[in-house]
Amino acid sequence: MKVSLNWLNEYTDVSSFFSNTDPLAQILTDAGLEVDAINDMAKNFSHVVMAKIIELVKHPDADKLTVCQVDIGTGELQQIVCGAKNHQQGDYVVAALPGAILPGDFKIKKSKIRGVESLGMLCSQKELALSDESEGIIVLKDDSIVPGQSFAEHFGKNDVVFELGVTANRSDCLSHIGLARELSCLLNQELKLPDSSLKASQSPTKEIISVELKDEVNCPRYTARVIKGVKVGPSPQWLKNRLESVDINSVNNVVDITNYIMLEFGQPMHAFDLHQIEGQKIEIKAAEDNEVFVSLDGSEHKLAAGDLGIYDANKLVALAGVVGGQNSGISDDTQDLLLEVAHFTPGTVRKTSRRLGISTDAAYRFSRGTDPSQVIKAMERACSLIQELCGGDVSEGVIDCYPQPIQRQKIQLAPTYLEERLGYAVAKDDFLSWMKRLGCEFCGEKNQELSFLPPSWRWDLEIKEDLVEEYGRLNGYDKIPESLPSLSYEPLTHDASYIQDRFVQSFFAKQGFYQAVNYNFLGGEALSEFLGGPGSQFEGCGFLSSEELATVQNPLSEEYNTMRPSLSPSLYKNLMTNYRSGVSSSQIFEVGKVFGVHQSEYFERRHLGLLLYGQSQNLWQNNSSTSPQVFTMKSYVENFLRSLKAKSWSWKPWEPKLSFLHPGRSATLFFEGKLMGYIGEIHPKLKSQSKLREDVAFAEFDLELLMRSFPKKPKLQELSKYPAVERDFSFVVSESVSASEIVSFIAKTNKKLIQNVSVIDRFVGGDLKAGSHSLTFRVLLQDSASTLSEEVIKSLQSEILTKVQSQFS
Amino acid sequence: MLEQKLKLIYDSAQKQISEASSSKNLYEAKVKYLGKSGELSLLMKEMGSLPKEERPEFGKVVNKFKKELEALYSRTEQSLKDQELAKQLEQESLDLTLPGPEIANGSVHPTPLVIDEIVDILARLGYSVRTGPLIEKDWYNFEALNIPPDHPARDEQDTFYMKPGYVLRTQTSPVQIRTLEKEKLPLRILSPGSVFRCDSDISHSPNFHQIEGLLVEKKVSMADLKGTIYFFVKEFFDKSVKIRFRPSFFPFTEPSAEVDCSCPICKGKGCRMCKNTGWVEIGGCGLVNPKVLKAAGIDPNEWQGFAFGFGIERMAIIKYGISDIRLLSDNSSFFLKQFT
Repeated sequence: MKVSLNWLNEYTDVSSFFSNTDPLAQILTDAGLEVDAINDMAKNFSHVVMAKIIELVKHPDADKLTVCQVDIGTGELQQIVCGAKNHQQGDYVVAALPGAILPGDFKIKKSKIRGVESLGMLCSQKELALSDESEGIIVLKDDSIVPGQSFAEHFGKNDVVFELGVTANRSDCLSHIGLARELSCLLNQELKLPDSSLKASQSPTKEIISVELKDEVNCPRYTARVIKGVKVGPSPQWLKNRLESVDINSVNNVVDITNYIMLEFGQPMHAFDLHQIEGQKIEIKAAEDNEVFVSLDGSEHKLAAGDLGIYDANKLVALAGVVGGQNSGISDDTQDLLLEVAHFTPGTVRKTSRRLGISTDAAYRFSRGTDPSQVIKAMERACSLIQELCGGDVSEGVIDCYPQPIQRQKIQLAPTYLEERLGYAVAKDDFLSWMKRLGCEFCGEKNQELSFLPPSWRWDLEIKEDLVEEYGRLNGYDKIPESLPSLSYEPLTHDASYIQDRFVQSFFAKQGFYQAVNYNFLGGEALSEFLGGPGSQFEGCGFLSSEELATVQNPLSEEYNTMRPSLSPSLYKNLMTNYRSGVSSSQIFEVGKVFGVHQSEYFERRHLGLLLYGQSQNLWQNNSSTSPQVFTMKSYVENFLRSLKAKSWSWKPWEPKLSFLHPGRSATLFFEGKLMGYIGEIHPKLKSQSKLREDVAFAEFDLELLMRSFPKKPKLQELSKYPAVERDFSFVVSESVSASEIVSFIAKTNKKLIQNVSVIDRFVGGDLKAGSHSLTFRVLLQDSASTLSEEVIKSLQSEILTKVQSQFS
Repeated sequence: MLEQKLKLIYDSAQKQISEASSSKNLYEAKVKYLGKSGELSLLMKEMGSLPKEERPEFGKVVNKFKKELEALYSRTEQSLKDQELAKQLEQESLDLTLPGPEIANGSVHPTPLVIDEIVDILARLGYSVRTGPLIEKDWYNFEALNIPPDHPARDEQDTFYMKPGYVLRTQTSPVQIRTLEKEKLPLRILSPGSVFRCDSDISHSPNFHQIEGLLVEKKVSMADLKGTIYFFVKEFFDKSVKIRFRPSFFPFTEPSAEVDCSCPICKGKGCRMCKNTGWVEIGGCGLVNPKVLKAAGIDPNEWQGFAFGFGIERMAIIKYGISDIRLLSDNSSFFLKQFT
């Protein structure tokens, strides 16, 4: 909200702040009115003064230039060279002197123009950003002008405009009088209200128009009055200046006055053209469903039942508190006015304005709450101004429909409660004096509790905590001391999910992965393309199945309209961002949520997503032994499983229906009796589409399943004192036999002595039959009770050989 | 005769041993002169041709020569080994300015990093983390927090709507209500996490993070709140930062305050981060509005509380001097690697 200091100064004395705005900004900030910006307009026009042309001669070397001697009030004439044609000796002009910085960062300096010294510039409207008029300089023929007077002062540009961030509870500060009232309380000084005297005619309003209030819940108060014979035309300069200072465009005198009243009192009002009102009647009632309304600007709106409308005998003429209708607004030909000043409830106005997307200054104020008691004052003031500036006869008496005057509840509180909540001692008298300045009426004391009636403009004061805040803020929050609450009970532990997430993130960061934090939503279309369908393609990997994707009703864009069902699409997005910016290899992980709909209810699951791409090794070492990326991924995942103290798990072949995964290079993780995620390589089609030269491996797991038994204590084993030996075995078997089958088979042949079995080599081709491969296993043998003898080793060796051969060959 | 022969053998052995150019040469010389069937041993066998009385003397001389040659052999062997080692060392020398195999350095993303730091600071005061859903019921996100439908405070939180009755939570405060509903009092909780606002520009992200704290005790004052916030902010940024409370408005607290701290980047002198004001806004707080306690089924005459909320990205931006909020959601390796 923009506030003009000049304007404010009419109601309470703020004159000392024009040249020194910081203290005022501090006072407002400390009171809870945040100052977003201060615009000192006079600063923009320093060194720009009013001047009189005393002498004017042609430039000796240029036909189009004149050399002027101007009076700038210093006693000496100033020589300025000017290129305009519309000025004469004796004219009053605006001179920008050396040192001035005109709009557009145009610096004025002393200069020589074709050999003649020029000490400044005579300005056009455009050069001072007054209008787009650049033809000729500003020429005034007004002998009351005093040469040397600052341009800002003469043109009313000496204002300082504060931009305030007014919080939702302080609608009383959305006007100049409202803010002046707050300042008069803060500075303990007088508040002057404007003069609203007028001469009413003999003709009673009641005989010209009738008002029927049919919805007193949503419109507790409605007032109307008529002014006949007004002259619609441009507003006087002072009114234009006032509105322009707070960025409101001038329309015509009548509309400008209604805006002026709103900015003065915070009370929106509306002016109808009386001749467009049919049947001499106004009705305030709920609109019908699908009723069509055309607002002032000509746009069409479809209403819903419950929108509050202002009707004449035949038609809808305005949307209450939101916007007027095109069918009844003020035009240049309007002669007779019907003025409306009303109190609409905030909820009604907000609902309609939000749904229709019409945000007006009126709706903004109504939906934050206006003061029902100042409705008549605003009406009087409006009529008085219209009569003064537009002429016309004001009808006798205001029609005031206010069937149930709004009653405020008293608030009781004991000064001890103030002390308890603020944490410092409070003197009762000090408290009473602040409440009085605030406008709270003191209604007596009972059982140490003081009773107050809050002022009509402070609808936000309802409970005792509100008065605690008022006293606290008026007295200054810096008065509040600091203390630490003592802890008298055993602190609780963190939620398991937080502890788990933290464990996972620190694990993978230490393994060399960068953590990604992505938006929880993605574009539905892109998702569908990436997954190869509308999102239920994760079947068979242990993820909770989703009937449909969870979608956002009002997304920012199509790019973010769907809650992600998986982390892989986000990580892939990160991969592409990095790849395109020249990162040729990376390891990324994310711990985050995925979403879906299960049995018509939303669900959220915590997932771990991993992505590896490129080879992170030194190019100069020229190491070409690279196993597919997905095996590296598998090693990382197994490392993680071991960090969870897991002893066993297995990988099941999986042929995903997901279009980003290679159907022959994917597997799911079987752990603690459940499937709970997958690893897999990028689909070659996606790889080539994305122009990726590097291999990519994905992995994703349901963390809630994966960490079900986290944290686990390690189960320690006694260490054997006897040496371990290694023996290698090679078998030629059909390629359909997986290495992991043989590994677990070997391990089972002697659980006591065999400590570990690993695959150390795989060979295909050569002399081997097609369809078979040679696998080499390394077996680690160790006994806890004695050194292994050669005989024991030999017999175990031949047992392994025979058993594996008979089982797999 | 034999003595002459001995002299000849000795001279040539001495020459060959001392001039051996490699361990192999040296060994060959050793075998040739000092070995079991080497020349000296053969000479000893010829000793029988000498008169008996001369034999001991001759034997002594041969042994003396043999010892001398063996000593010479050892010296030469040592010197050859030294040379060969020197050669090996020279050949094995490496340019250690070349890079080693790359071992990736990972990092925790600054957003969770800041959350964890804040949690650790406040855990020292007895706070524990509580979490909640991101797709939240309107009731928990708004109504229970004293934001009824058509309340103007809803304007300030541009909301993403899901199916009727559900929103993407606009704040982490719904976790307060969920926790108050089911846990024993008194309590102190923190709820960090993802929140959503229908807003996106240079300084706003549609999906950002907050951390919220709630304390409920029999008696709670603004002084308790101030002490807690001051402690936490100083621990998080720097003991020297100045903090101020400014009156503000939140529907769920009364009184309410906005928390500013002196700009940690410029130490309050004025910079781009603080828009030359010397202060940066970091969060909001206040005493829990009794209406909120009531909505969670708690008697406000028996219990009081305070709550505070901070924007994680904002805290990260200020703490690390991050120039653009989008860096926190782009997940560029160039950015993340600076947090290893």
